[in-house]
Amino acid sequence: MRYLTLILLSLLSTEVFAKKMYEKLEGKRYYFSALNIFFKEVSVRNVTEDDVEVLDRLLQHTGIEVLDGYETEVLAKYPTGSTQFVLARRALKEKKFSRSLELIKQISKSHHFYPEAMFLKGQVYGEQKDINKEYQAYGECYNAAIKRVKQKGYVHYFKVLSEICLSDRARTKYDAGKLKDAVNEYSKIPKNSYKWPYLLLERAWAYYRLGDYNRALGLIVTYKSPLLDTYFFPEAEYLASLIYYKLCLFKDSSAIIQHYYKFYRPRYVQLEKVLRENKNSNTFFYNLMFRPEKQKAHGEFVKQIVVRLKKESRFNFGMTSILRVNHEMKLIKKNEKTTTQNLLMPHLKEVNKNMYQRLNGLVKVEIFNFLKTVSFFSSELYKIDLEILSKSKDLIYENKKFISDRSRGDLGNVKRSPSEYFWTFEKAFWADELGDYSFALKSNCQTIERTKAKK
Amino acid sequence: MKYLLLSLLFTLSAWAQTPETKGKVIYQYKKYEKFDMGNLDLNGELIVPGEVSVRERERFKINMDLFERKKTNDFKTSDAQSLE
Repeated sequence: MRYLTLILLSLLSTEVFAKKMYEKLEGKRYYFSALNIFFKEVSVRNVTEDDVEVLDRLLQHTGIEVLDGYETEVLAKYPTGSTQFVLARRALKEKKFSRSLELIKQISKSHHFYPEAMFLKGQVYGEQKDINKEYQAYGECYNAAIKRVKQKGYVHYFKVLSEICLSDRARTKYDAGKLKDAVNEYSKIPKNSYKWPYLLLERAWAYYRLGDYNRALGLIVTYKSPLLDTYFFPEAEYLASLIYYKLCLFKDSSAIIQHYYKFYRPRYVQLEKVLRENKNSNTFFYNLMFRPEKQKAHGEFVKQIVVRLKKESRFNFGMTSILRVNHEMKLIKKNEKTTTQNLLMPHLKEVNKNMYQRLNGLVKVEIFNFLKTVSFFSSELYKIDLEILSKSKDLIYENKKFISDRSRGDLGNVKRSPSEYFWTFEKAFWADELGDYSFALKSNCQTIERTKAKK
Repeated sequence: MKYLLLSLLFTLSAWAQTPETKGKVIYQYKKYEKFDMGNLDLNGELIVPGEVSVRERERFKINMDLFERKKTNDFKTSDAQSLE
């Protein structure tokens, strides 16, 4: 048996057989194994046009995450759209913007990664502060992605990519201070899209900066809908409190602050404990994602965070890759002889392990970032609390008070554009109304003299 | 000279420790005093009980520089990372 393996390995080193080998593996849909054998074989000879085609084909099945461990010089040998895309992304991270744009230019319009390459182009121009080109690139990304959205096996990927590009178009306008344009861009994202719940907060900020506090509050209140119970953002609570403060409705603002501390403090402690106790584990967070009994053990809050994380694209991509590797391993175990299994399985096990660890790390980082956000907005809310205290003292020392203790809504305070719907709230959230709410509050900031009682 | 300095030092410290001799101090508890609040006659405005009264003045104002989102870079970065 040992001799047989040796013979097989020695045969692999010869060009003709090796080529046959990876082609054979590809034919059997052992894409990860084929990719590994492909690199081993081609690395010792000149790259041909056929090689480039094969590599591109294989990467479409494995995903480009598997190239993470390969050095830039190695990948640069293969002028495929996939490798050029990976290298352009690396160049962007290294702040080599011209190099990144140069590589993006080489990716053909028909290539699978062309839409994401346009997205990358937008990021490069964003770094270079070229707003017009950035906006244009995100538009190109959207158009290219939406054309491919029905491509079998990639429906989710292109849908999410098109939504992200559309979101970034709106964000480009927001960053440039063109807030009305930003609001228009945000409204182009359909309610049934994956990104929509996340963008409510950004739209609320745009309305806030436009001075339409009521519309901003209406968008934030959408998160209270039972349909969106896994979408909770400390920043949304902060914005609501800030708006009430700006409207001089101090009691409402304070109520949100108190609720924030009451809600997030114990949960923060719980989550921080989970993170601290398992920070060195390579599997804990992965298991937390995919084993409901583990989530239950750590309470409802952890479960809700995990549910939200699972909806994110990177976890979908990661999980798809893991499932594909597992499937390939199963097939090899089932259909191949022991010698072939011994040849292919160690690499697959390694890929599998790396992917598990990658996902585990991503969850860990997400939880860490979430905790950081909770803590940041906790201190910002504390500042609002101090401001309320200070303003209340000012009123006392000026012998004044607000015109009304508690200003209530009036339809006259609702600003509405022709494209914005209007319903009155009837103590229930309706799916088609979500995101179209507006409060009708009046600013309470006008002050009046306190009356003195005289003898 | 050395002895002279030493003797001078001893003399000074001896003076420092000598208590001041004054008349004998007699300590007494304060005698019981009774106030008839109803008979007290005070001048001034009568304010409604519970009303907070302060001297009107302008206070020094501290601006806390509250967070307002000017850029969306973190959202953009997060989305870009979600595709990696």
